[in-house]
Amino acid sequence: MDDLQLLREMRSDIGSAPPATLARGREKVMAKVALASTTATKTDTHAKGTVSPIRFRRRVLIASAAAALLVGGIVVADVVRPIGPGATAEAAEVLNNAAAATIQTSDLGVKPGQYLKVETKAVYSSSVSRADGTTVSWLDTTGGQVYVPADMSGEWVWNREPRVPTTFFGEEARAEARKQEASMSQKGSAGPQLEGILRGRAGAFYDSPQQIMGTPLLEAIETLPREPRQLLDLIYEKTKGAGPSPESEALSTIASSLRTGVIPADLRAAMYKAAALIPGVVVADKQATLDGRQGVALGVYWGDGKFREDIIVDPVTGLMIGERIMYLVAEGGIPANTASSWTSVKTSVVDAAP
Amino acid sequence: MSTDNDIIRRARDSPAVFGELYDRHSSIIYRYAARRAGDFAADDVTSETFLVAWEQLETYDLDREDARPWLFGIATNLLRRHHRAEAKMLKVAAKAASRDSVGDDSDRIAAQVDAAVTTGRIARTLKAMAVIDRETLLLYAWADLTYEGIALAMDVPVGTVRSRLNRARRTLRTQLDLEILDETENDHGRLAAAPRNA
Repeated sequence: MDDLQLLREMRSDIGSAPPATLARGREKVMAKVALASTTATKTDTHAKGTVSPIRFRRRVLIASAAAALLVGGIVVADVVRPIGPGATAEAAEVLNNAAAATIQTSDLGVKPGQYLKVETKAVYSSSVSRADGTTVSWLDTTGGQVYVPADMSGEWVWNREPRVPTTFFGEEARAEARKQEASMSQKGSAGPQLEGILRGRAGAFYDSPQQIMGTPLLEAIETLPREPRQLLDLIYEKTKGAGPSPESEALSTIASSLRTGVIPADLRAAMYKAAALIPGVVVADKQATLDGRQGVALGVYWGDGKFREDIIVDPVTGLMIGERIMYLVAEGGIPANTASSWTSVKTSVVDAAP
Repeated sequence: MSTDNDIIRRARDSPAVFGELYDRHSSIIYRYAARRAGDFAADDVTSETFLVAWEQLETYDLDREDARPWLFGIATNLLRRHHRAEAKMLKVAAKAASRDSVGDDSDRIAAQVDAAVTTGRIARTLKAMAVIDRETLLLYAWADLTYEGIALAMDVPVGTVRSRLNRARRTLRTQLDLEILDETENDHGRLAAAPRNA
């Protein structure tokens, strides 16, 4: 079933508008309108308007500015945050070194007929909130391989693996996961096809090109700015209003772009340097292990310091090992100091695609 | 039948004509507002939307035949005043549909349980979503506006609508355990089942 279809079904429980209510509303509106026809000038009426959306918008802005200040205050109190612009000196050093290393590590050469194989493994949390108000959670693991032809405008092949529950936070979570699996398999063919091979020219698996930062991938690879500040400004612009904070959203956008596996070295370097300019980015773990590989975790806190968005970088090759979201406190059935989701990415060159 | 811009043009000189615009669109605005924030809010939002529309009648672009994007844009702004009512509705929907409240009744068939669980998850996801993303998604799914319509309603470029919609749908799909596209796809890409009416 399609997400939009499910969402649309939700509105069917609202009947049509009560005629009496609409009639009352009409009277109210038309009384105001009638007033306009009897007053001398229309401009007078306009000035007397009952609701000014501009005034209203301003109020919202002030409210959110106050909220931001409040949140800022809490974050400063709870978490050690760097002073001044950009990441901490330590994080900036790691990122800038990674940028230098990644330029040295030349991109894998893919010859005509060969494919760049981008292998990802991903873990996501699932949760069920129960009638007693508690939430239980578990982690599902999935993965896939994308085969990118030497000529990237050619046909890409994507093999999608099933999503299976792998880690349970308690026996109740295990039981819920079982229940859910059972109900999913009952649905049979009604559900969307989640597994198996998909093909798409130039990586357009769903009729339209993949995008990074709001730009079609192949175009983005060519045109995204290589100047770190410009790149970061663009990221902020494209992600305005999204995510829990502009900083975490910026870091997450960089991670999403890097995990496509096809970002060339010069752009990769620019992305690391841009990450070094994000305020609040810290070295979160010097020896972080993700999917069996070790690297340096660079992260940015959000939610009053309860959560952290990390990217894990191999300092030697300057390649991104993966990304994760860390829960530093127990929340929503996920224990403290746990990655609620992570993705690892590995690239290699192969001679054939499935 | 006259188009919306005809009505608006005539209403500028003969205010009583404005009633035609109300008669034509008040019920869809009401329904949309009721779905989002409940009947009480819908009552207020519907009449206020047309009052604001009346006040701003001179600013309406007469080249646009369909006034719905404009009206939904006003309604969207007004609905922000009712964010508490909306949050409460979503909270109730999320709770009422939580698995345990329906799941153990052996008389119910699995499909009903699934539908209820799905509703609950959608409600929870909508509640957690950034406001502009939720507004974009619901203008699309509940108000049936096109990308261009939403762009007009929210006064942003079509590209912004597209990326907000993609982001919102991705979140929704993740929460619904539908196809997860972001491994090798990406956060901002267009997702499956690209809308045909865009």
